[in-house]
Amino acid sequence: MALGVAFAIPWLLLVLVPYISLAKLEPVAYAEDELPDGGMTQYPDKNLLRHGASDYGRDIYASEGCAYCHTQMVRPTYAGPDMWRPGWGGREDDGFARETRPQDYVTEKYAPLGYQRIGPDLANVGNRITDRALMHEHLYNPKGIDRNSGMPAYKHLYKDSPFGKGYEPTEKAEALVDYLLSLKKDQPLPAVVATGG
Amino acid sequence: MTVPKPTVEEMQERAAIDRSARYPVLFFFTSAAAWLFVATILGFFSSLKLCVPSLFDSCPFLGYGRLFPMHMIALVYGWAMQAGIGVMLWLMARLTKNELRYGTTMIVMGHLWNFIISLAVLSVWAGYGRSIPLLDFPVWVWPMMALTYALIVVWLIPMFRSRRNSYVYVSEMYLVGAAVWFPWIFVAANLLINKGASPVMGAGTDAWYISNLIYFWMGPIALAVAYYIIPKITARPIYSYPLAQAGFWILAVLAGWTGFSRYMGGPLPAWIPAVSGAASIFILLAVVATVANFLPSLKGQTKLWEYSPSLRFTVMGMLMFVVYAVLAALSSTFTFGKDLQFSHFQIGLDTLAFYGFFSMTVFGAIYFIVPRITNAEWPSGSRIRTHFWFSTYGIITMVVCMLVGGIAQGGDMAQWDRDFSTSFVNSSAYMVGRCIAWGLISFSNFAFLYQLGLMFVGKGRKTDGPTLIHSEPGAAADARAAAGLS
Repeated sequence: MALGVAFAIPWLLLVLVPYISLAKLEPVAYAEDELPDGGMTQYPDKNLLRHGASDYGRDIYASEGCAYCHTQMVRPTYAGPDMWRPGWGGREDDGFARETRPQDYVTEKYAPLGYQRIGPDLANVGNRITDRALMHEHLYNPKGIDRNSGMPAYKHLYKDSPFGKGYEPTEKAEALVDYLLSLKKDQPLPAVVATGG
Repeated sequence: MTVPKPTVEEMQERAAIDRSARYPVLFFFTSAAAWLFVATILGFFSSLKLCVPSLFDSCPFLGYGRLFPMHMIALVYGWAMQAGIGVMLWLMARLTKNELRYGTTMIVMGHLWNFIISLAVLSVWAGYGRSIPLLDFPVWVWPMMALTYALIVVWLIPMFRSRRNSYVYVSEMYLVGAAVWFPWIFVAANLLINKGASPVMGAGTDAWYISNLIYFWMGPIALAVAYYIIPKITARPIYSYPLAQAGFWILAVLAGWTGFSRYMGGPLPAWIPAVSGAASIFILLAVVATVANFLPSLKGQTKLWEYSPSLRFTVMGMLMFVVYAVLAALSSTFTFGKDLQFSHFQIGLDTLAFYGFFSMTVFGAIYFIVPRITNAEWPSGSRIRTHFWFSTYGIITMVVCMLVGGIAQGGDMAQWDRDFSTSFVNSSAYMVGRCIAWGLISFSNFAFLYQLGLMFVGKGRKTDGPTLIHSEPGAAADARAAAGLS
């Protein structure tokens, strides 16, 4: 009995109640004077967050174990230097850089926050690498982009080009690149969310 | 003060209990040891991939992102779970003075467990993993695991209820705790994560699950072993029963609050990791209570360490438990955590829990239990010594490299104006250390598996007297006699 209570209290208060309250988070509409460009009317905008990526791409990200070396979580400055790294927090030039929030993951079933940072954080990789061909090159030959990179080449996601030169992405590589290009967790916050009101 | 010697009737009773436990317990130990060997090999190859990232990179089955989760599943569910279950069954039977019943059911369930874990590992290998640390396997695997575990461990409860001693041993409390807490943690974590209603809390729940697995399952089993082995070998009763109870309840009350600090600064409400961090620090009280209880038992008994394999492994495991709890507490504060979070330190800390304190303590139990249930002695004391030293040097290499490497990597990552890859390049020497560590641990466990295999097929030494380290086989009646303490 006492053993059950010892377990039940933290389970209820630390896990279940926050789980339910975060699951119930409703989108927040922008005030009229703060509507951002791009047709967004609320935060989070689930359709726009997807940027055309499918669940399949996310599944490839998970099954290849990308999350064991890459996080998708930008910490506020009091908890780490993430926001100082160029591009990690989002589009600094437009003033959109910020730490990640629970609503930024509404398109996922499981937020791939990550296990280690052998490689850089990917929360906003879709803002840093916008060119599709460059993203493919990153997966096919990471050392060609940065010779110090510790990332293995994901050659099994590609097949040799029938023209003898270069490579052709498989369906899996295309889906993974769709997913990576969609990673932009810097949607502007409505004032009421940003101030915690 | 020493423990009174058992009577002839008590000795016969113990032998009957040991006989009843023989086949199920030996089955769990042997298959666990085989999984451990597989896990250490996977640990070696996954570390090698970090040293040479381009190695076999055209083969989908040899990527770090698949090998590492396979290594973790094999280590935790293949080795730790089965070894822990074996220890739980035997220890509960011995402490409650009940013969182990339903042995055949347990062996059948044990085979099933091995089959399910094989499916889990192979599915991650085949590309069906989900990047959810320790719960990577496809969603249909976990209900089978929960059911099989329940059907093995449920028999501990009637044994505990029909115990024949007037008061509850501390070890019994820990065993019952571990038996009932794990299904709850496992089912709760899987249900919430797979429901997918709150993606961020799903990730938080996984971190909570890992920490709870360590403090609510591995910790209690290791402590149950230590509270049994240390008084047995030193022939001294526990120094203070109330202190032991206090340690148990501190752990029980606080363990469930830990875990979320893994994602401190993350997209969770900030109070959740803060509470977890505080709980990790207060758990040190349970560690202090435990150490304060063991030290008087071990005082003046250091010579026993040289001879008794069980004591040696158990004490080393407990030492690692202290180191683990202190490092976990330190890294759950912003002061240390913000640079160590997501660095190599994290993998060092997890491995310290799985291999350092849990496995080392359980090795101590296995070296004690197997001769009793097989009625034969370990074939070679020097192989036990090999197992001990290679494991110890291996885990120390691992933890030191990952701690120092983690600090170096965290320092590099904090320099925001340098390329991120600098942090990888500068910590690559520590990756070589991680490789060497798994090499040492693999070798040590080959010696262990070989020796356990000999015991399994009935090739144990049949002559009188236990196998001790630094002593001719059978030369002394027990470790105390060999050490000149009795």
